[in-house]
Amino acid sequence: MMSAARDGFGQLLLAEWTKLRSVRRWVLALAALVVLSVGFSLFASAGSGTDSNKHPDFVVGPNGRPVADEFQFVHQPLTGDGSVVARVVSQQNSHAWAGAGVMIKDGTRSGSRYAALMVTPKHGVRLSANYEVSRAGRAGGVPRWLRLTRTGNSVTGYESTDGATWHKVGTVDMRGLPPTAEVGLFVSSPPKVVVTRSAGTTSVAEGPTTGTATFDSVRVDGAQATGSAVWQSDRVTQPHAQDTLEGVPDFKRRGGPSTGSTEANGVFTVTGSGEIGPRESPDDPVQAALFGILIGLMVIAAMGVLYMTSEFKRGMIRTTFVASPRRGRVLAAKAVVLGTTAFVLGLVATVVSFRLGLPLLRDGGFAPPAYPTPKLTEWPVLRAVVGTAAFVALIAVFALGVGAILRHSAGAITAVLALVILPAFVAIALPTTGALWLMRLTPAGGFAIQRAKPPSNMLAEAWSAIDPWAGLGVVFAYAVVALALAAWLLRRRDA
Amino acid sequence: MQPSIEVRGLRKRYGRTVAVDRLTFAVKPGEVTGFVGPNGAGKSTTMRLILGLDTPDEGDALVDGVAYRSLRTPLVRVGALLDAAALHPGRRARDHLLWMAHSNGLSRRRVDEVLEQVGLASVAKRRAGGFSLGMRQRLGIAGALLGDPPVLMFDEPVNGLDPEGIVWIRGLLRSLATEGRVIFVSSHLMSELEDTADHLLVLGRGRLIADTSVEKLRTAASGDRVDVRTSRRTDAMTLLANAGATVAAIDHELLTVNGLSGERIAGLLTGAGVPFSELRQHRASLEEAYMELTRDAVEFNVPTVRDA
Amino acid sequence: MHAEWTKLRSVPSSAWLVLAAVAFTVALGAVVTASTNTRECPTPSTCVHDLAKVSLTGVRVGQVAIVVLAVLVMTNEYATRLIQTTLTAEPRRLVVLATKAVVVVTATMAAGALGVAGSLLAARGMLPGNGFTAANGYAVLSLADEPTRRAAIGTVLYLGLVALLSLGVATIVRDTAGAITTVLAALFAFPMLAMFVSDPRWHTRIEKYAPMDAGLAIQATRGLRGLPIGPWQGLGVLAAYAGAAVLVGAVLFRLRDA
Repeated sequence: MMSAARDGFGQLLLAEWTKLRSVRRWVLALAALVVLSVGFSLFASAGSGTDSNKHPDFVVGPNGRPVADEFQFVHQPLTGDGSVVARVVSQQNSHAWAGAGVMIKDGTRSGSRYAALMVTPKHGVRLSANYEVSRAGRAGGVPRWLRLTRTGNSVTGYESTDGATWHKVGTVDMRGLPPTAEVGLFVSSPPKVVVTRSAGTTSVAEGPTTGTATFDSVRVDGAQATGSAVWQSDRVTQPHAQDTLEGVPDFKRRGGPSTGSTEANGVFTVTGSGEIGPRESPDDPVQAALFGILIGLMVIAAMGVLYMTSEFKRGMIRTTFVASPRRGRVLAAKAVVLGTTAFVLGLVATVVSFRLGLPLLRDGGFAPPAYPTPKLTEWPVLRAVVGTAAFVALIAVFALGVGAILRHSAGAITAVLALVILPAFVAIALPTTGALWLMRLTPAGGFAIQRAKPPSNMLAEAWSAIDPWAGLGVVFAYAVVALALAAWLLRRRDA
Repeated sequence: MQPSIEVRGLRKRYGRTVAVDRLTFAVKPGEVTGFVGPNGAGKSTTMRLILGLDTPDEGDALVDGVAYRSLRTPLVRVGALLDAAALHPGRRARDHLLWMAHSNGLSRRRVDEVLEQVGLASVAKRRAGGFSLGMRQRLGIAGALLGDPPVLMFDEPVNGLDPEGIVWIRGLLRSLATEGRVIFVSSHLMSELEDTADHLLVLGRGRLIADTSVEKLRTAASGDRVDVRTSRRTDAMTLLANAGATVAAIDHELLTVNGLSGERIAGLLTGAGVPFSELRQHRASLEEAYMELTRDAVEFNVPTVRDA
Repeated sequence: MHAEWTKLRSVPSSAWLVLAAVAFTVALGAVVTASTNTRECPTPSTCVHDLAKVSLTGVRVGQVAIVVLAVLVMTNEYATRLIQTTLTAEPRRLVVLATKAVVVVTATMAAGALGVAGSLLAARGMLPGNGFTAANGYAVLSLADEPTRRAAIGTVLYLGLVALLSLGVATIVRDTAGAITTVLAALFAFPMLAMFVSDPRWHTRIEKYAPMDAGLAIQATRGLRGLPIGPWQGLGVLAAYAGAAVLVGAVLFRLRDA
């Protein structure tokens, strides 16, 4: 009498998939998820524009990316192998990342190749090169002996507290540095950025800082070094845009800090201002290209809830639990089926949006050099595209869990949508720390995963201030907790 | 092992209402067991408890000796029709059965077979939302039959069926029982089960009032009353009264006799040469018997009629 | 009319939703007002903050409860098939829709009035503490002030229009999940987009044509000339959306089988 039957999670997945695909409204909603997301993404892409390339506040670095390169440089030429040594005697704490140290650089043009070894007021000794490398040495500040040694195409940094025992900080590859380079002392001091949020406005104020450091025991050794070459002091500068960032009121830049250097009895006093490092605008074209997934999220939130609450309507759940009495497994199967479907559709939407949105963004001014063309092969871009699809999947699972807990479509959908969308609106009205915590505690933080740039608190959208993984992690936590609570309640409650 | 449903000391309350109160019974294979009681008597609750959908406060319900929730592929052990409306209206009939089949690893062929069996093959591709109650009832029955299980439970299967459908389901239940299965059918109307059930469980206010075969219940309700129509009323009365019966005259030709079987009465009358034109064993309808039982259950706390 | 009112009142979730609308409006308004200070306001005339608007920020969240309330008034009847009973009792369908609209808009505006009054009172209490004192040249928020009165009354009207929009969409979609999602997406997707869309032309477009952004232009009390759309015109845009939704809903309600 008994038919051949098989018990297994795979069977359950197939059953739940059959349920999902066999309701026409749901299939249409899922198709709408992709179409609306892509459409809205294109809308967002078309509406995004920038004039950063017309009014640059950066120089182009050796890798073609926008960089900041501004400091005071006391230098002399060095041809071939050799080294530069100096002791930083004192350093003013003008900025946590202010730098005082030795440098080897391809001339004095802003944006050229360099390797620098410096001491900072708060972050110890750092070896940095070509706006990309930044390696930490030992902690501690001045006084500090610093030495950079060039051997062919590589430069090695050493530091010492006494001038006798030297610690190697690291070696950097300096291919492309010409045989004759400028070596010497430098002082940098990055601008201070103050971001305030209140009553729905985000204001960013940026002002230069100026730092002074003194050096002694300065020596340049080299095969062809003259030993008595004349030190030259130059201010390496870059352009500054008058209006570089969104938000009001914009900071009015003063005439320019007074910088320079003096030397007396072998003691150099150098005053510098500016920053050396990458300078990419926090505005992220990748997020603009993916932003339409917001609509997709709303659709999948409703879908996730309905996929569960439709079971409670009319007692469908009884048929389901009669067929599969192990309720936790039914919920797990639903989560896997819905999550996978949402992920795949989300990925289709993000990849298509990315492909179609980029040309529009490029037309809007998001073009090199201010905005290097993002490629799917770059990790942060890939993370944003795939991570956004994961965001969709996690919201789907979260909605499923909430649906199982509340068993009521209207309440569950409203709860999920409110948690995903409203925090962004509340956050713009809160002070910076409040906004940050709101993003760390609500699923709205998940929008951070759409960003392919480092976190920045300078933008109106609060989620951009938190780490992408932290944002996605919050959503993950919500999904897991909702699912666990749902599983517990499903087992406990009468069906 | 023989398929069975066994319920021991089952008790379930929802808030302050006791839906099922210390229920104990067993359902045997090879016959149709009717589960009757007025609306709200606890029939559906009992079925949900057996199917592990609700958790009993006390006691347990076993199917084939195990709790339903421990079954791995329950559809091949137990088939159940609970609520014909428990469907997603947007889903096609065939898809509804397909997901059920998938969940227990049953073949797609079974889906087509049961659709054929319940007469829905021609509308398999239509959405269940457009079905009449009768069609939904058939679809629910198809779901119960899907795993070809030895135990079948139907909650009010006749609801919404047209006369032709009622005949069909009676035949189906009988033939399933003949195959040696456990057939457990609930109804709030005794008349629906009268010609189908072999055994009856009567429920009132969550308690078991009767656990008896249909024949015995009928006999108990009928008593052993025999109607006799004769032209020699007085002779017949004397004769039968002398033989130990209680005799009452209804009119000048009709007598009702209690305390003697029809055969014995016929023998006595024939032996004495008293002519009679009609001798009829009185048969109370099950409905009457049932009304009697459930009314008692509501009004008094009568002892349970029992014979296992 | 009485019947619809009874229906609305007898569903316990209605009372909760109305309460939620008021509570969220006042609470968020208070939080935002508390974070406002005179740092961005060197003098009253150069202040970037529109204090009336700031204190009424809460409706952005409070309106969610209104959306749910207005949608459920219609879709609950479809979900429970009560609609058939309703239409048997009153076969003139447009009358049914109209009474539903009147009832839900009345309830909404009552909630809105409470929320707005609560928000303004909270702001009146808090702002002087944040430096917005008469001594510093800041007028006390008062309904005697014409722009503030417009913002207050307009916000109540805004909520009423959101309720109408929701009711219209619900009548068209006839499904709770679909209607709530559609209305919330229509309201919130555009301002979310406006948060980081940098092109000013698109900003202007969103502020002029997106239902929530345009509708809330009614809250502006300062710098009106700089706005892409005037307060009443903005509310008019929302009214047009709500009217269109109700109109399409009414036509479908008449034509379709219940």
